[in-house]
Amino acid sequence: MKNILTLIKKEFSRFFKDRRMIITVLLPGVLIYALYSLMGTVFTKMSKPDETYVPTAIVVDLPAELAAPVNAMFKVSEEKLTEEEAQAKVAEESVDVAFVFIAAPQGKPEVRVFYNSISDKSSSAYVLATSLLAAYQNPAFVINASPDVKYDLAEDRDMATKMLSMLVPLLMFAMLASACMAVAPESIAGEKERGTMATMLITPVKRWQIALGKIISLTVFALLSGLSSFIGVILSLPKLMGGFVATDVLPYGVGDYFMLFGLIISIVLVIISAFSVLSALAKSVKEAGSLITPLMMVIVLLGVVSMFVSASPSLGLFAIPLVGSGLAISGIMALTATPLAVGLAIISNVAVAAALVVLLAFMFKSERIMFKK
Amino acid sequence: MEEILRVEGLKKTFKLTRKQQKSEGTNLSVKIAVNDLSFTAYRGEIFGLLGPNGAGKTTTLRMLATLIKPDSGNAFIDGKSIVTDDEAVRRKIGFLTSELKLEEFFTPNYIYDFFSELYGVEKHAAQQRKCELFSKFGIDKFAEIKIANLSTGMKQKISLVISIVHDPDFIIFDEPTNGLDVLTAKVVTDFLLELKAAGKTIILSTHIFSLVEKLCDRVGVIIDGRLVALDSLENLTKEKNLEDTFFDLYSKTVAPEATKGGWL
Repeated sequence: MKNILTLIKKEFSRFFKDRRMIITVLLPGVLIYALYSLMGTVFTKMSKPDETYVPTAIVVDLPAELAAPVNAMFKVSEEKLTEEEAQAKVAEESVDVAFVFIAAPQGKPEVRVFYNSISDKSSSAYVLATSLLAAYQNPAFVINASPDVKYDLAEDRDMATKMLSMLVPLLMFAMLASACMAVAPESIAGEKERGTMATMLITPVKRWQIALGKIISLTVFALLSGLSSFIGVILSLPKLMGGFVATDVLPYGVGDYFMLFGLIISIVLVIISAFSVLSALAKSVKEAGSLITPLMMVIVLLGVVSMFVSASPSLGLFAIPLVGSGLAISGIMALTATPLAVGLAIISNVAVAAALVVLLAFMFKSERIMFKK
Repeated sequence: MEEILRVEGLKKTFKLTRKQQKSEGTNLSVKIAVNDLSFTAYRGEIFGLLGPNGAGKTTTLRMLATLIKPDSGNAFIDGKSIVTDDEAVRRKIGFLTSELKLEEFFTPNYIYDFFSELYGVEKHAAQQRKCELFSKFGIDKFAEIKIANLSTGMKQKISLVISIVHDPDFIIFDEPTNGLDVLTAKVVTDFLLELKAAGKTIILSTHIFSLVEKLCDRVGVIIDGRLVALDSLENLTKEKNLEDTFFDLYSKTVAPEATKGGWL
């Protein structure tokens, strides 16, 4: 036990005294915050058009009884144009929409509404135009006219949990995997490459102690990095969702955060041990990077999987390492997770991580792996 | 004389890749690095393994230091087997080779304490030993400077000190003076003699005749993985000097034509 502490102490002072390492680990959080906030601001601008905007229209042969409502909703051009000229104006986006009324001596009169879907303004003007015409056609109903009534019955809270349950597992897997990627190759393949691992292997310290000391320290570093990214995400979420979801309605309790934290630790343990095994196989930090990259992609894909699994997955699925964690995180976010399912996910992760630590200890014993040039 | 190291039929082979086969000009897929090596070393002596590059000296020392395992055979250091009791062996030995590097991010002071702890040296004793060794090798002035910023000679001295933090009775040195300037080399050789005077046993490998003549009590000459001579320095240099004796042995072992056009 004392040896493991000594080893961990060394890893910590290696890490925390090195400004470069700290920046590598903490920078992603800052970057995520900046990037997501920027994305959010752009999305908000795109999805929320100016509400004071009045769409422009051209009318050809407008029936008298429609003049009042059309003029109320559209800025109607004074020009007298033919149908073709009106079409050309809409096509070149100088006008949002064109109404062309064609009188029919027999049967119903026809109205043609021209619009240009390239332009957002034209598209919404078209929707406005068709609903106006529909209302005119059947004036017996007025649809959703009272401004005080809430017609969309989805609650902000449900909206928030639904969105987070889809987003968070993916974000979490991607962030934790890249955090592990930032620390594992340097600490294991790097020590091998520089010949400092052999110096440690010549001491009477047991191989499994070296393996465990590495894994514990790396887990802490990866958690720090993951935490930094997580804070970045949380802070930028309100902006990212463009005010669509208010963060102060997030309905999670202490228990939820507790389960989430347990899951995160166990996920990092699995990923860091897997990356460490690959780093131990590699001869250099560079080679470790290329060995790890495919696995990292798989891990991020596992995060995506949870987005497509049904709302209530069977309990057995939670016992699959990493996959179960994705589902469990999704469940916590959607307020449907049970402690049993979360527990299963954590246990399966810890079991895999333990097996990988044993494997790593054996690899440290193997001269083929440790000393092959 | 008390026996401290007994080597019994050590053998080590390495698999050759296609590329290596080509560069060595052989069709064999296995290279025998050390072939049935047996010898004994006694407490308090300096034992030299003398041989050309590629003879198997380093491989032998790495097996003794438990970094790699022999294919067959065994060796016992102070009664502990390098095969079955490697951890106990590591506790007893100090091993210095240019392959073992120190993390250059740390200071000599920190790295000394780190290895002292790993070897389980009691804190007070460790501090006292650190003081002595640091001032003996002039490391004390640089104790708080990152190893990366120190000279090659200073790094070597620190490596030497680190390899003996636990005051081992049995010390293995692979090419102890390789790559050192004359001053540092002298510091190291003087220290080896000091260790011997303190009753330590030292196994060293080298291809430098003068080093053997200066330091070693007994010598094993190793060529192509085999021990071709094993005797006291005195006996080996009775008729001719060590250099001539070695070349005689070499031409007897390797085919005579090789000695004509080869590296001699």
